[in-house]
Amino acid sequence: MVKREIDIAVIGGGAAGLAAAIKAKEKGIENIVILERNEELGGILPQCIHTGFGLRYFKENLTGPEYISRFIKKVEDLRIESKLDTMVLEITPDKKIIAVNSVDGLLELRAKAIVLAMGCRERTRGALGIAGTRPAGILTAGTAQRLMDIEGYMPGAKVVILGSGDVGLIMARRFVMEGAKVEAVVEILPYASGLSRNVVQCLEDFNIPLLLEHTVTSIHGTDRVEAVTVAKVDANWRPIQETERTIECDTLILSVGLIPENELSQTAGIVLDPATGGPVANELMETSVQGIFSCGNAVHVYDLVDYVTQAGELAGESAARHVLNELPSLRKKIALKAGDNVKSVVPQIISGEEPVALHLRVKKPMRNVKVKMGNLSIPKRVVRPPEMVVINLTEKALEKLEKRDELEISIEEETEP
Amino acid sequence: MKKKEARVITCIICPVGCRARLTMKNGKITEIEGLECPRGEEYVRRELEAPVRDFFTTVRIKGAVIPVLPVRSTQPIPKDKIMDCVLELANVVVDAPVQAGEIIAKNPLGLGVDIVATRDLDRVKER
Repeated sequence: MVKREIDIAVIGGGAAGLAAAIKAKEKGIENIVILERNEELGGILPQCIHTGFGLRYFKENLTGPEYISRFIKKVEDLRIESKLDTMVLEITPDKKIIAVNSVDGLLELRAKAIVLAMGCRERTRGALGIAGTRPAGILTAGTAQRLMDIEGYMPGAKVVILGSGDVGLIMARRFVMEGAKVEAVVEILPYASGLSRNVVQCLEDFNIPLLLEHTVTSIHGTDRVEAVTVAKVDANWRPIQETERTIECDTLILSVGLIPENELSQTAGIVLDPATGGPVANELMETSVQGIFSCGNAVHVYDLVDYVTQAGELAGESAARHVLNELPSLRKKIALKAGDNVKSVVPQIISGEEPVALHLRVKKPMRNVKVKMGNLSIPKRVVRPPEMVVINLTEKALEKLEKRDELEISIEEETEP
Repeated sequence: MKKKEARVITCIICPVGCRARLTMKNGKITEIEGLECPRGEEYVRRELEAPVRDFFTTVRIKGAVIPVLPVRSTQPIPKDKIMDCVLELANVVVDAPVQAGEIIAKNPLGLGVDIVATRDLDRVKER
């Protein structure tokens, strides 16, 4: 078995991992290794051929491949080592990494710091429990995207999409552009799960019906999908039987949520937040295990890659400071708890002494709200579940904040005076 | 005879997502309701008069590690030309290597934009 001692191991070579590796190298760390399971760097971005990336980070409107290639080039220019086609099997709490690939065989890396940047994966049919047969032609949106835009296959000709997450909306457009017919996008909620620009440019532009408060109740077909049954749901998401109807199709695409990928975090004994599915992180992106940091969609699912890059940079910088023995441990610890209409908040632990950006997910849309955090109250025009709410706690706000061991963040609708 | 019609356009400039309700006469806007800021009005007028979209798709590539090359237009194109442009590129086959930014189709359909590659794809050795 190959054994090596390194400074920083970055698990995952997508947007978060590359940003972390670059930042750590720029902070003077020499011995960095990126471990990537795919045969190329870039994570999910090479298959995201649409535009809309980089508007915040680069102030440019880039496609996924264009966005990520800037980071891949930088990794190459900085001569950061990356091991492709490499699967990490286990991480121990004392930062030993067991990985495997076909060149080195089994690898054991001992790292001074680790950055977890494994990203997320898609919920599948199994997570939904849809009744019916198990024919070919049921794919997650991301799988369809990879087949179509990387591997050059057309996954189907007559398509129903369940769930209105961003990848599902993007794929609705791609299917139409490649000659398929998209019969409907079916969403159980009373509003779309994806960004409104995607609803407009992917569905409305191509006259694709969006069936809100509907779900797929059954899948038909033996060898291949032949049809799905859809029905309207009641307020408790129960299908209303009288509203059932059958839509003929050969493909069912699932865009029903993303889950941070954290099997490795668990082998390392890292505490996970049930609300996000990712590690509990402090404002330096350090997890509950000292010297192990986390960033990107492994922590919580972002809607914009620009934020993922920023989180990666922060985790990379913290990992570098840890290796250089310059990372302070938080003198004070304030645990942030999700209150009314808040699904999750990252980071979960702050010092209350350094400016920090809080990222919130809300449960339901609201207008004219106040984000309440202890004695602080921050107004927002609108909050919607698809769009992450960013709260910048500036020095000034922190001065005012009454610090306690635990603070609840809640979102309240302003009542008319 | 005066033709009166109503239209709803969702503004996508910011997350508020205002739904603009337009009243129109003879194809001209007479009233806009439901917008909360002037940026929205500008968007709605552009959407109505000359809507444009970023254009991107893939073309076939030979000799690379993958069989498709992602491409985009250098500028947005008229919304109603998206499908024409897709068809125009449907039979394009390029040879690897290709560099990001390389022109794949020059001024297709006379739209005044070029179609460029959005990633590098090296040539792989024949096996």
